[in-house]
Amino acid sequence: MSGPDWRGLVRARLDRITDDPAHDEDIVEELAQHLVQRYAEYLDRGQDQRAAVRNALGELDDTDGLAAALRSAAPRGPVAPQPPIVGGAPSMWNDLGQDIRYGARILLRSRGFASAAVLTLALGIGATTAIFSVVNAVLLRPVPFTGLDRLTVVWQTDRNTGTVREPSSLPDFLDVKERSRQFDGFGGFDASERTLTPLEGEPSRLPVLLVTHDLIPLFGVRPILGRVFTAEEDVPGGPELALISERLWEQQFQRAQDVVGRTIRLNDVETEIIGVLPADSDFGIMQILRSAAYARGFADRDLRSRVDVWISLRGDTRVLVRDTHPLLVAGRLAPSATVSTAQAEMTTIMADLEAQYPSNDARGVFVEAMGDVVFSSVRGPLWILLAAVGLVLLIACVNVANLLLARGTTRLREVAVRAAMGAPLRRLVRQFAAENLVLALASAALGVVFAAVALRGLVALAPADIPRVTEVRIDGVVLALAAAVALMTGLVFGIVPALQARRLDVQGALKAEESRGSTAGRERGTLRSILVVSEVALAVVLVIGAGLLIKSAWRLSHVDAGFLAASVLKAEVQLPSSRYRSRSDQFPNFVSVHRFNDELLRRLAGLPSVEAAAVVGNHPVDPGFQNSWQVVGREEEARTWPEIAIRRVGPTYFETVRLTVSTGRSFSDTDGPLAPTVSIINETTARRFFPGQDPVGQEIRFWGVNRRIVGVVRDEKILGLSREAPPAVYVPFAQAPSNNGSETFLVRSSAPLATIATSLRAAVRELDPQLAVFGIQPLTQTVAESVARERFVMLLLVSFAGVAVVLAAIGIHGVLSYAVVQRRHELGIRMALGAPAVRVTGLVLRQGALLTAVGLVIGLAGALALTRVLTTQLYGVSATDLTAFAAVVPLLGIVALVATWLPARQAVRTDPLEAMRDG
Amino acid sequence: MKKGSAELLILSVIENGQRHGYEIARQIELRSRGAISFHVASLYPMLYRLEARGLIEGRWVEKAGQRRRRYYRLTTNGHVTLAAQRSLWREFFVGLNRVAGLRNA
Repeated sequence: MSGPDWRGLVRARLDRITDDPAHDEDIVEELAQHLVQRYAEYLDRGQDQRAAVRNALGELDDTDGLAAALRSAAPRGPVAPQPPIVGGAPSMWNDLGQDIRYGARILLRSRGFASAAVLTLALGIGATTAIFSVVNAVLLRPVPFTGLDRLTVVWQTDRNTGTVREPSSLPDFLDVKERSRQFDGFGGFDASERTLTPLEGEPSRLPVLLVTHDLIPLFGVRPILGRVFTAEEDVPGGPELALISERLWEQQFQRAQDVVGRTIRLNDVETEIIGVLPADSDFGIMQILRSAAYARGFADRDLRSRVDVWISLRGDTRVLVRDTHPLLVAGRLAPSATVSTAQAEMTTIMADLEAQYPSNDARGVFVEAMGDVVFSSVRGPLWILLAAVGLVLLIACVNVANLLLARGTTRLREVAVRAAMGAPLRRLVRQFAAENLVLALASAALGVVFAAVALRGLVALAPADIPRVTEVRIDGVVLALAAAVALMTGLVFGIVPALQARRLDVQGALKAEESRGSTAGRERGTLRSILVVSEVALAVVLVIGAGLLIKSAWRLSHVDAGFLAASVLKAEVQLPSSRYRSRSDQFPNFVSVHRFNDELLRRLAGLPSVEAAAVVGNHPVDPGFQNSWQVVGREEEARTWPEIAIRRVGPTYFETVRLTVSTGRSFSDTDGPLAPTVSIINETTARRFFPGQDPVGQEIRFWGVNRRIVGVVRDEKILGLSREAPPAVYVPFAQAPSNNGSETFLVRSSAPLATIATSLRAAVRELDPQLAVFGIQPLTQTVAESVARERFVMLLLVSFAGVAVVLAAIGIHGVLSYAVVQRRHELGIRMALGAPAVRVTGLVLRQGALLTAVGLVIGLAGALALTRVLTTQLYGVSATDLTAFAAVVPLLGIVALVATWLPARQAVRTDPLEAMRDG
Repeated sequence: MKKGSAELLILSVIENGQRHGYEIARQIELRSRGAISFHVASLYPMLYRLEARGLIEGRWVEKAGQRRRRYYRLTTNGHVTLAAQRSLWREFFVGLNRVAGLRNA
């Protein structure tokens, strides 16, 4: 005897009566109970169900009159007495407060709608907020250096080789400093490493910056404690002094205030601490090093992101002569100067130097804004990610707009009643705005929580070469943005139903059972379809972007690197010159160095599971350094040749990384320090500089030594997996040991690499207990880190695309479910007339397919226009790659099919009788 | 119906105990043997108005195993008003009878 849903029927006729939804609820309940009993009474009298329902409902006739009467007569609940109307402005604010309270209650009443909307928006706002936090911390926040816009990096160029970002020589630096008028000042630095031997605990490797005394003041950095270097100290043979980072101060001295004047042991030299520099004093240094033609290796090692010690350069022009280029130069523009006037002046100065000194042949200058150097590599990817996440937010907004429109249909009657009762449109619009305000703020709050969680993962995943990435956090600016985004979305999409109400036919809305068939209903249907289409289109763009990056990452991971990183462990040491003499007049016969290497390799090779072990100057994805070179007998021709990468490798290297010797022989133990000097070139060198000749037997000359070519090996991608192998020459490590004692060991083993790492540490400790082993990791990890940024961008874009697809699926599902409910009557009749279930399902599926297809076409066109921004992020894939574009069709097709299938089944399950009766 | 008669009817049927809205409508129908009936659309606005004027008091009552229902009873004020109305209507009927020759129903 329960009969129809009387509460629903009553509520449909009287949506909003008073200003208090809880009270409205009571009235609805009371009236519904009345009707339930009346209905039962009619049934008792022998009426059939339909008549009983009709007669009971008849009591509600004159609904707008009823609502008005109820409203004026309704007892006031204990809450919400009308605010006193004092004057224009206060009453407006009172009304607003009332609207917001009412909005909150309305949302609480429709929890399903509210939680769907809030979750969707929060997802969009959370993702946007997280990415924006990164953009904000990395790109937008003020930099720690005073007047970054006046700071430049003064690179040297080499017209012979075409390189534009080379460091300078010390004599050039001093001359430029002397002659320039366009700059207020210059500073120079060189990156290095030192082994820190603490009083207790393991020795460790520290990144060190050798600086001219004017560099730190040039950047506008002030020490927290102590002082910076003076000009008097920055001379050859000057005292051993160091500035330490705030981090090292904390870690080694627990922030002791009396640290100035104490000493630390660096490469076995007692060095006096003269001051402590604040945490961000190394801002931009790694990006400058990474941009430089020779210095990338330092910055890339262990994904270095900071400097711990600053030491005075004390440059000696007799050692650092004019054809040695170790010094990175920063300059601060004079107030009247610009980058281009500075470039013009420097060009003249460098031309004079070129005329003056033979070693400056073909050397020019390139003045680049420091901001560009620091940010250029991250700007692109970060803006791309922000744009992508903006698309996700847009999709989330579209979904919420969809929800609001669906809801607008039910709310239409409420709007009509209120409009009929004389509520001004302004007030109605404001009521909707207030509701959406509540919705938006709730979403923003939840979104910020999402963002905070996402940021943790994001920062952990982020490649270390992003400047200031460790400083990413949610601050006031980020919160303000989240709030602004939330308000914008809430207002824009929320007012739609109210504006629709403006054209509302009050009578029609009150009479219509459902807005099915009415013009307004059809318009809304069209609008919702447009929303879904745009949602699908946006998702397509994101999915294609992600697809391109996935393919690019796949290409990268399958690239033939020339070497085989799997099962190889990498470890680095730095032999201190105090115990491992490396006097340049004895080069390359550094007896103690070679003895250490031979002994360590002998022990490593003796380990049961070790297949091969080798000593090298640089591991395979460390670009190391390059040098100008000649082929003996072709000196004149070689003047225009690019520099060649110098790879210093032990004889077992080729076997250890499985690098194939294609012609000639490999190195052997007989190619010792005192044996005839030999070299091996890579295939690129052979192809470019020995076309149609046999290079084996010819001689290469660099560092003042002729080296006979004994073989050719395959190319190794030493500049990173995404770049072509440069010309490279291999020389025996024994014939070219490191001047500074820096060495890398590679061990190939079938045993777990962690076990090998332990054995390796033990072996080193036995040989030299004071020696630090650092950078121990599987070579595969080193390789993976070298493509960390590509992976980072890809992972983020893939997750955005995933969210986009899910949201689009929800959108399709929502619209079709709604359409099915609206068409219940029609579908019921069709089924009653004998339409098979398949056909009814087909009707719904066809509608879904149409929406998806239109969205796909628009999305594909949009992607064609948009994915070109990804070009710089792609490797071996074109921005219009056919497979990525083609793959999105079945993917979204299947997702859309699933999203459509559920409402379609719902349509078939419709009981024809019930559908028609309710209709 | 004369203005104010509906008020009298409602107050009368809850004079001796609280009733909910449907019972009120039903009682009026039964006692008038179907001659007078109230629809939801007119009954509830009247109830709320009476409540607002303080003549009746509605409150939600929950009984075990049943939905909560709103019951209305007369307030003191309501009893006084009912008495006053009764005497007014009685005088009115006497007058009506004398003039039009009606019999008291």
